[in-house]
Amino acid sequence: MNKALLAALLAVTATPAWAQQAQTPEQRLDALDKRITRLEDMNAVERVQRAYGYFVDKGQWTQLSELFADDATLEIGGRGIFVGRKRVLEYMHGAFGPDGPKEGLLAQHMQFQPIVDISPDGRTAWVRSRAFVMSVGGWGLPLYEDEFSKEGGVWKFKRESGPFTMYTSWKGWGHDALNNTWPDKFDPPPDLPPSTVYLTYPAYWIVPFHYPNPVTGKPFPVEPVGAYHRPPGTPEQAAARQVGKLADGTQQIAEPPGN
Amino acid sequence: MKRAWLAFAALAIAVPAHAQSVEQRIAAYRHRVALLEDQDAIENLQATYGYYFDKGLWDQAADLFAADGSFEYGQRGVYIGVPHIRRAMLLFGPQGLAAGHLNNHMQLQAVITVADDGLSARARWQGMIMLAEPGQNGVWGVGVYENEYVKQNGVWKIAKLHFYVTAETDYDLGWTKSAIPMDGPSALFPPDRPPSEVYRAFPGAYIPPFDYKNPVTGRSLADIPEPADDVVGRK
Repeated sequence: MNKALLAALLAVTATPAWAQQAQTPEQRLDALDKRITRLEDMNAVERVQRAYGYFVDKGQWTQLSELFADDATLEIGGRGIFVGRKRVLEYMHGAFGPDGPKEGLLAQHMQFQPIVDISPDGRTAWVRSRAFVMSVGGWGLPLYEDEFSKEGGVWKFKRESGPFTMYTSWKGWGHDALNNTWPDKFDPPPDLPPSTVYLTYPAYWIVPFHYPNPVTGKPFPVEPVGAYHRPPGTPEQAAARQVGKLADGTQQIAEPPGN
Repeated sequence: MKRAWLAFAALAIAVPAHAQSVEQRIAAYRHRVALLEDQDAIENLQATYGYYFDKGLWDQAADLFAADGSFEYGQRGVYIGVPHIRRAMLLFGPQGLAAGHLNNHMQLQAVITVADDGLSARARWQGMIMLAEPGQNGVWGVGVYENEYVKQNGVWKIAKLHFYVTAETDYDLGWTKSAIPMDGPSALFPPDRPPSEVYRAFPGAYIPPFDYKNPVTGRSLADIPEPADDVVGRK
């Protein structure tokens, strides 16, 4: 997001008192309408993100795909980018099978901790949130930085991006940590390569924040930060960032395990 | 930036959103704000239920229900009215959490729908469970709440709490090796009604019915087919 937009986000409720007094009742009501609409929009966007989670839990891929705009994109883990609602559905059906939960399968994607922002024009929204995955395969932590658009009064996914923080078997992340996924790990193949290549736990990647620090107002550095289990700014982290870097500055994914 | 914001504000004002009087608009906006406040109140109510339930504060948890409210947990059956709900909760342990017990029921992922009259509401919640008691291994669990709420004298209360436990497993073994079945109705204090739906937890596949509509298509989710279950006899 550009700086002007960030500033506009911060300024959205900052109409000074003198300006309110100079306004007609209709203008003041228009301003009030806008503030109420923003609150309603935030709830509506959270609702779409949460509905997505409930559909994942029960394998409702058709319903899930209908949460996406026609030209929306989907990028989960390191699988690459799928373009368009139809491809979202192909991805889900191809990777996870037909609609409906299956006996002996659990893939709970519990959704929480959303940070929602609405653009000043009320047409675009962003969410940073996360899922805690409790599944037959073990544990997982995707993070979301998603974009939504309002079409015909309805909020839809415009971009779902769910990079992984950590995946592990039931033995836990102290015992083994699974690699990130990659474009040819399973079918179907993506339309576009991954937007960035990063490592999952025990390495980490700080997904750029769509919103500024809410207290200082400073935008979060958008430079991708990759590291090996050391905080940003430490010598170990600086050294780790020089290892296996690609030309675009991101880090190289580990070799897929032979299986 | 300032100019961009002013331009935007001017644009918003230029669009005639309503051909209504000032009084009509104020009434409409008061209604919309009331619905937002209702949603927040319900979110706090259910979160409070979770915090009370975690710590075995059954008296306090039961007081969150309407006088004719109902409580249903897994396959234990339906308990109706605050006194029965309070006693039913004693089946989980004594008032106040017993020593060495963990009874965490996290309340996540609310999808709340407030009725337009602001007097009733429904909500779906994700329930994450962490249990422990002395001498036994810990338990992980998960389930879905499909609840109803009612506003009485300006106060939101739980009208119906239905927690569909959908999976529980041993902390160390995990889902591939352990699936803990749900408790049935108590013989010590039988429920007022049998379970409102007979279903099997993991490894069974079951979809707790959705109260809300698909938020994008607006279509009902009531006709999503339930998977077959030979044990329960669901075709």
